[in-house]
Amino acid sequence: MNDRNLVRGLFLAVLALGFGLGALHYKVGSFAHAGPGLFPLMVSSLLGVVALITLVRSRFVPKVPLGFGLKNIGLLMLALCGFALISQHFKMLAGIVFLVFVASLAGASFSWRRNVKIALGLIAVAFAFQKLLGLNLPLY
Amino acid sequence: MEMLHNLAFGFEHALTLPNLMFCAIGCVVGTLVGLLPGLGPLATISMLLPLTYSIPTGGALIMLAGIYYGAQYGDSVSAITMKIPHASSIVACIDGYQMTLNGKTGLALFTAGISSFIGGTVAIFVLAGLAPALGEVSLLFGPADYCSLMMLGFFCVSFITTGSLLNGLAMCLVGVLLGQIGTDVNSGLERYTFDLPFLAEGVGLVSVALGCFGIAEITKNLDAKEQRTPFSGKIHLMPTWPEFKRIIPSALRGSAVGSFLGILPGGGPVIAQFAAYALDKKVSKYRHEIGSGAIEGVAGQAAADEAAARTSFIPLMSIGIPENPVMALMMAAFVIKGIQPGPNMISQHGDLFWGLVASMWVGNVFLVVLNVPLVRYWLTVFKIPYAVLFPSILFFCCVGTFSVNSNLDDIYITAAFGFLGYVFMRLDLDAAPLMLGFILGPMLEEYFRRAMLLSRGDFSTFVTRPISGTLLGLIAVFVVWQLVSFFRVQKRPAAAMAAAG
Repeated sequence: MNDRNLVRGLFLAVLALGFGLGALHYKVGSFAHAGPGLFPLMVSSLLGVVALITLVRSRFVPKVPLGFGLKNIGLLMLALCGFALISQHFKMLAGIVFLVFVASLAGASFSWRRNVKIALGLIAVAFAFQKLLGLNLPLY
Repeated sequence: MEMLHNLAFGFEHALTLPNLMFCAIGCVVGTLVGLLPGLGPLATISMLLPLTYSIPTGGALIMLAGIYYGAQYGDSVSAITMKIPHASSIVACIDGYQMTLNGKTGLALFTAGISSFIGGTVAIFVLAGLAPALGEVSLLFGPADYCSLMMLGFFCVSFITTGSLLNGLAMCLVGVLLGQIGTDVNSGLERYTFDLPFLAEGVGLVSVALGCFGIAEITKNLDAKEQRTPFSGKIHLMPTWPEFKRIIPSALRGSAVGSFLGILPGGGPVIAQFAAYALDKKVSKYRHEIGSGAIEGVAGQAAADEAAARTSFIPLMSIGIPENPVMALMMAAFVIKGIQPGPNMISQHGDLFWGLVASMWVGNVFLVVLNVPLVRYWLTVFKIPYAVLFPSILFFCCVGTFSVNSNLDDIYITAAFGFLGYVFMRLDLDAAPLMLGFILGPMLEEYFRRAMLLSRGDFSTFVTRPISGTLLGLIAVFVVWQLVSFFRVQKRPAAAMAAAG
C-alpha cells in the first residue's frame, strides 16, 4: 500500500463513489430537464474515470513511497478545534492561549517563555481587531 | 485617445487619499506574505476577504489586487536572496540566485523591481485597450460557449499549474463536487448537507482556501523541519549605466510575452516566466551568460511575471470567467461586493474598473519607490523564527474564518479542510485547481443546465456552435497531445534511461 500513485487513485475513487452514490438519492431527471442529481452524477462519473485511469497508470510507473505523518497535522487540528470549543463555551482569550501552546508542540522546539510572549502578542492583536476594525470577537 | 481619457478617469479614482492608502496597505501586506513562508496570495486574500466588508468597494478591490502583485514581488525577493520561492517565482531562482552567489544581490533586486515596473506598465495599456473590446466579444457567448470555456480553463490550469493533466483535472472535479454542497438554486433541494444546518449555505470559500493553503502549508513546513538561514549579505542597489541598458530590451520582451500569456485560459505568471526566460535564452545578445547570473535572466522573467499577473484580470473583467485560482478568488471578492464581473461591469461600474486599472500602476510605483530601496529592512522579516510565525498564522486563519459570518462553527470546517488539504498534499495533488473548480462549479452547472434546456437535451449544441466547438477542439488537441507524450515516454524508458545515465 505504500505507493503514492495507487493510494491517490483509491482516494479519488472513494470520493467519486461517495458523491456519485449520493447524487442517486436526488432526482436525476433527463438532460433536457435536469434534476438536482444530474450534474453531480455526471461530474462524479468523470472523476471516477480519472480515478480509474490513475489506478491503471499506477501499475505502469515506478512506485513513489507515501510519506504520511499524523502528529503535526493532528496537533494543528486539535489546536483549531480546541480554540473554537473554548471560545464557544468559555472565552476567546483562553482559546488563544490554548491554540498557541498546543500548536507549538508541533514545532521543532518548545519554550514556555516564548509561548507566553506569542500569546500576549496575539491577544494584543485580537484587541486591536476588536477595537479598530470592529470585529465582534468574543474575547472576554 | 479614448483609452487615455478612460485612464485619466481611472486615475481620478485611484489617486484619492483613501484609495492610495488601500493600495499602499495592499502592497505592503502583499510583500510581507510574499516573503513569509506558509502564506501565499491565495490564503492571504481569502483571509482578508471578510475584512473588506467594512471597506468601500473600490478600496477593497484595490487592496486585494495590491496583495496579489505585492506578493508576487515579495516572492521574487525571497527567491533571489535565498532561493526559496513560496508561490510562483520559480524562474527567479535560477539567474537571480546565481547573481546573489556572485555578490550582485542588489543589482538582481533592482533589475527585478524595475523590470516588474516595465512589465506592469505595458500590461496596463494592454488591459485598458483590450478588456472593453473583449467585453463586446463576450456578448456573443451563449450558455454552451461558457461551459466549454470553463472546461478549457480547467484543462489549461490543470496542466500548467500541476504539470500533470490527470492530477489537476481530478482536483478540478473534486472542487466542482465540493461546490455542489448546499442548496441547489434550481430546485431548492439541499445536496450533501447531511441535514447539518451550517452546510445549507454551502461550504465557505474562506474555509476551503485557508484549510487547503494556510493550514496544509504550515504542516508541510513543520514536517520538513527545514532550517532557514536568513540572508545577511551586503546590498548595493544602483546599477551602472551599461548594466541599466541591458535591462530594458529584455524587460520589454518579457512584457510582451507576459501580456499575451496572461490573457489565455489557464495562463498566468508561472508559464509567462518560463516562456520569457526561454525567449531570452534564444534571442538575447548576452544569451551565453544566461544561467550563470545574467541580468537578462532576471529582467525578462520578472517583467513577464508582473505583466501576466495584470493581464490575467482581462478574462475575469471582460468575459466574467476567471482563468486561474487567484482570479477566481478575486471574482469572489467582486461578488461579495455585489458586482458581477463580466461584459456589463465596465459600462456599469466604469469608476471601479478604471480605478482598479489605474491603481495597479500606482501600486507599481509604490513597489519600486518604497520596496526596492527598503529591501534590506524587508529582509529582516526572515529573522522571525518559524516557531513564532506559525501559531500566529494559525490564529489569523481562525479570525479570518470567524469573521465571515461571526460564527465559530466555521472553524471546524476550516480544520476539516486543513486535514483534507494535508491529504491532498501528501498524495501529490495540487490544491490550486480545486479552488478554481470550487468557485466555477456552481456557474458551470447553471450554464450547463441552461444550455441543455435550450437544446432540449441535445449534446450536439456544444459542437455545432462555432465558439464552443473551437474551444472543445482545443481541449481535444490537448488530450491527444498528452496521450501521445505519455505513450512515447512509456515506449522508450530504456532509451531515456540510457540518455540520462
